[in-house]
Amino acid sequence: MVLYLIGLGLYDERDITLRGLDAVRGCARIYLEAYTSILLCDKLRLEALYGKPVVVADREMVENDADLILEGADQIDVAFLVVGDPFGATTHTDLQLRARERGIPVRVIHNASVMNAVGACGLQLYKFGESVSIVFFTDTWRPDSFYDKIAANRKLGLHTLCLLDIKVKEPNLEALCRGKTIYEPPRYMSIKTALEQLLEIEEKRREGAYDAGTLAVGMARVGAPDQRVVAGGMRELMEVDFGAPLHCLIIAGNVHVVEEEILGYYRIGQAGAAAGAEGAAAAAGGGGASTAEALAVGGGEGSS
Amino acid sequence: MIEDIRALMNNKFNIRNMSVIAHVDHGKSTLTDSLVAAAGIMALEQAGDARLTDTRADEQERGITIKSTGISLYYEMTEEALKNFSGKRDGNSYLVNLIDSPGHVDFSSEVTAALRITDGALVVVDCVEGVCVQTETVLRQALGERIRPVLTVNKMDRCFLELQLEGEEAYTTYLRVIENANVILATYQDDAMGDLQVYPDKGTVSFSAGLHGWAFTLTTFAQMYAAKFGTSEAKMMEKLWGDNFFDPATKKWTKKQTDSPTCVRGFVQFCYNPIKQVIDLAMNDNKDKLFKLLEKVNCLDKLKSEDKELVGKPLMKRTMQSWLPASEALLEMIVYHLPSPAIAQKYRADVLYEGPLDDQYADSIRACDPDGPLMMYVSKMIPTADKGRFLAFGRVFSGTVSTGKKVRIMGPNYVPGEKKDLTVKSVQRTVLCMGRKQEAVESVPCGNTVALVGLDQFITKTATITNESCEDAHPMKAMKFSVSPVVRVAVEPKVASDLPKLVEGLKRLARSDPMVQCIIEETGEHIIAGAGELHLEICLKDLQDDFMGGAEIRVSEPVVSFRETVSDRSDHTVMSKSPNKHNRLYLQARPMEDGLAEAIDEGKIGPKDDPKVRSKTMSEEFGWDKDLTKKIWCFGPDTMGPNILVDVTKGVQYLNEIKDSCVAAFQWASKEGVIAEENMRGIVFEVHDVVMHADAIHRGGGQIIPTCRRALYAAELTAKPRLCEPVYLVEIQAPEQALGGIYSGAPGAVLSWCCAGLLPGLFLCTPCFRSLSGPLEVLRTVYLDSHDQATV
Repeated sequence: MVLYLIGLGLYDERDITLRGLDAVRGCARIYLEAYTSILLCDKLRLEALYGKPVVVADREMVENDADLILEGADQIDVAFLVVGDPFGATTHTDLQLRARERGIPVRVIHNASVMNAVGACGLQLYKFGESVSIVFFTDTWRPDSFYDKIAANRKLGLHTLCLLDIKVKEPNLEALCRGKTIYEPPRYMSIKTALEQLLEIEEKRREGAYDAGTLAVGMARVGAPDQRVVAGGMRELMEVDFGAPLHCLIIAGNVHVVEEEILGYYRIGQAGAAAGAEGAAAAAGGGGASTAEALAVGGGEGSS
Repeated sequence: MIEDIRALMNNKFNIRNMSVIAHVDHGKSTLTDSLVAAAGIMALEQAGDARLTDTRADEQERGITIKSTGISLYYEMTEEALKNFSGKRDGNSYLVNLIDSPGHVDFSSEVTAALRITDGALVVVDCVEGVCVQTETVLRQALGERIRPVLTVNKMDRCFLELQLEGEEAYTTYLRVIENANVILATYQDDAMGDLQVYPDKGTVSFSAGLHGWAFTLTTFAQMYAAKFGTSEAKMMEKLWGDNFFDPATKKWTKKQTDSPTCVRGFVQFCYNPIKQVIDLAMNDNKDKLFKLLEKVNCLDKLKSEDKELVGKPLMKRTMQSWLPASEALLEMIVYHLPSPAIAQKYRADVLYEGPLDDQYADSIRACDPDGPLMMYVSKMIPTADKGRFLAFGRVFSGTVSTGKKVRIMGPNYVPGEKKDLTVKSVQRTVLCMGRKQEAVESVPCGNTVALVGLDQFITKTATITNESCEDAHPMKAMKFSVSPVVRVAVEPKVASDLPKLVEGLKRLARSDPMVQCIIEETGEHIIAGAGELHLEICLKDLQDDFMGGAEIRVSEPVVSFRETVSDRSDHTVMSKSPNKHNRLYLQARPMEDGLAEAIDEGKIGPKDDPKVRSKTMSEEFGWDKDLTKKIWCFGPDTMGPNILVDVTKGVQYLNEIKDSCVAAFQWASKEGVIAEENMRGIVFEVHDVVMHADAIHRGGGQIIPTCRRALYAAELTAKPRLCEPVYLVEIQAPEQALGGIYSGAPGAVLSWCCAGLLPGLFLCTPCFRSLSGPLEVLRTVYLDSHDQATV
């Protein structure tokens, strides 16, 4: 009857919206998209809250066996749960298209995403340009197209949100070339690695999109109680220990006076920079952001 | 003796590194015996029968060479023999590092390994059969390595004894052999090496009878006659070849044969007929006349008294050996016309060294500098008497290798700057190969062949060895083989508990042979791939007897590997979406231009080319657009195979970010094609368009590799795909009356009629897998039985 795409929000099982919870409870089958994120809370806690079993859908299932998910959806309601917002992770447009092809109505229940929760640092969402992903460099694959986008954003005085690579259930490429699928252990990019890669490309291209002193804001575990926000020069931020994943990074464009004032609290050396509690409080207004959401966005954008 | 040899090794102008190459059964090993005997390693009487360089029991039994064998020979030349030599030399002692190689096509990888470490080649051609398929193949290989050839027209005894040829007839036969060889040589004209063709009147061709241990060059006879005619040796040599006729009645030389019945060609009059006379006299035991004749040519006193007691063939053999000793003629050619390492390495460095041609290693190779950095190429591994251990046999191109030295071993997969396939180890001992035995020496300077003990665990087949400290050295170029391992069998132990023995044995087998491939399939099957049936047979025998201690194995029916190709352009552009559906690839496949796949096989075009050079060759020889050649992404399979992935897109942004993934997919797909999971061949894949997700993270390898592979497969399927089967090029020579039967009964297609030797023949193109099941074997026996002279 209906395919629900339901956002789970940023932090734990209780971030789901009331309408979302109602929809889940009315569905016959519930899938949890589990490759663009890992939930910090156990799947069992979701099931306890919903009072229904939840099927974990991994990348192969979503990308290659979407029909399995849609099967019978013309007769029953099916819920597809996405950590963060359903359209933060772009893969799911495909699922939506397939459902429409079969004449199954699709309803979307939104939730908070890291893409809006980053507003917590004080930079205004209106002033963000195109978002980019920073992927793990390998010996041979060092894509640097993000550089042009950051350069374009900065030219217009816009901020750039950099989503950092997460690799959950990524196939090993060497094995893939031998026709086998072996999954790599999960990896999450830290702000430090991202900054190293960014500066490496600036070193290589020398087009002055940014430099070691450019103002950037590092955010870790957005929406979680121990959220951390630190603003500073790119080189300075490399020295900051942001702790556990997930991380994201903002490269600032032209900063408004008010933005400047709030960022002042997060500057390196300022008391606010270390205050996890305050960050959480600020984020709480956005509906309780979470590590899981950051994972969702980072991973969703990253790998779908 | 070994001290003499070691002393000579420092004398780089008096060294000759040479290989003996030829078609199967043209008499390489037999001829080599004469050289070995002259160096005093074996008795002269045995020469021609012992085949000292056939060290293995099965080589002796079957009468064919299977492994190439190195032997270092020491000669003291007389001042007289060197008087015309104008090149640089230091004293009269010469060191010849000789490698006798197999002629059978199945073992041609052994020839390749031999050629790499030598500078000159003695090309042996049977005067009756002429220049055959394998002669041509090995010649081309030699020239590709910049090896200078000299030719010997062998089995002269057949002309005299078996075929009883008249002089003029014999001359035209020899002329044709030499011309055929020169036709091949001419196609490889290389400015760095000068004129490569061979001429009897310049001393680069000799005439020999290996079995009887005699041979001559025109110099031999020119020396005899020059004084008599009151002319120089050089002038006399010219008279002895080509259209120069002499009439004893008028004592005049003419350029054309006159009507006078006594007017005879110089070669026939002064070379062929005297030999014929001596042989006839000896065979008929006409000793009075024979000895009188020998006295005239100052040869009688060379015969020992017991030799004079001999009768018939042995008498003839001893007489000819004393009169025209094979070693003298061959040595003359080797010393005079083959280059010393000092000379050869000047022009070979460019084709040998992979790194920049102006770094210290290239310079040192060019200068053949024993004090320079060590550069040694190990071309093959030789099993020792101590079962399971191997000697690393090769050539020192620069520097000196010594016992106890710590060396850097760069394997075939080594990439400069990385740690892959790289080991540092000490050389336990350096030894010289002397046919069946080895002699230890303290050190070996550049320009020589050498075998190293104690490195066998770190070298699989080939390696470049350099000083421990030479971290910026590049390896030497990998060898190009003319055959590929297309015939495969699966093996398993009869007793399951022997499996560890089999695994260990396969490792050793892989080491012992430059060509064989031992593969463990994902199914757990153990596969051995060889160049042909005979090659496999020998490999299996070695495996069982030598490398597994006699444990019994079961062998499957042989199968041959195929190649996949396309015969037309894809009938439409195929498209494949990535798993996340955000990326789309548009591809087409088309067949390669004629000759391009072969050029890639031969390494004329490849991934390591200078882009400008590649652009020039491909546009001039294969009609590629110059801009297009710059957009070649890669070759495959294994980065150098005969398939190309090329980008023909227009204005696609960030294409380079998915290039690596496409290359990886292409390597995979071209290795296991869509039809039968066989290698592809001769296909150009064009990337026509790409739609990409805006963000790099959505177009990583996980998304692109499977997508690109699918698209490649689809492109192959839409381009009229074909399977290619390997074929043997078979040359059959037989009397005319037998050819009809062969023509109708032979499997495969007749390519052309030929006439390389004295008998008419034809070239056959026979599918390998059909010949495996027998018909060729049958053909060989049937026609050999009923018509003795047919050779396959």
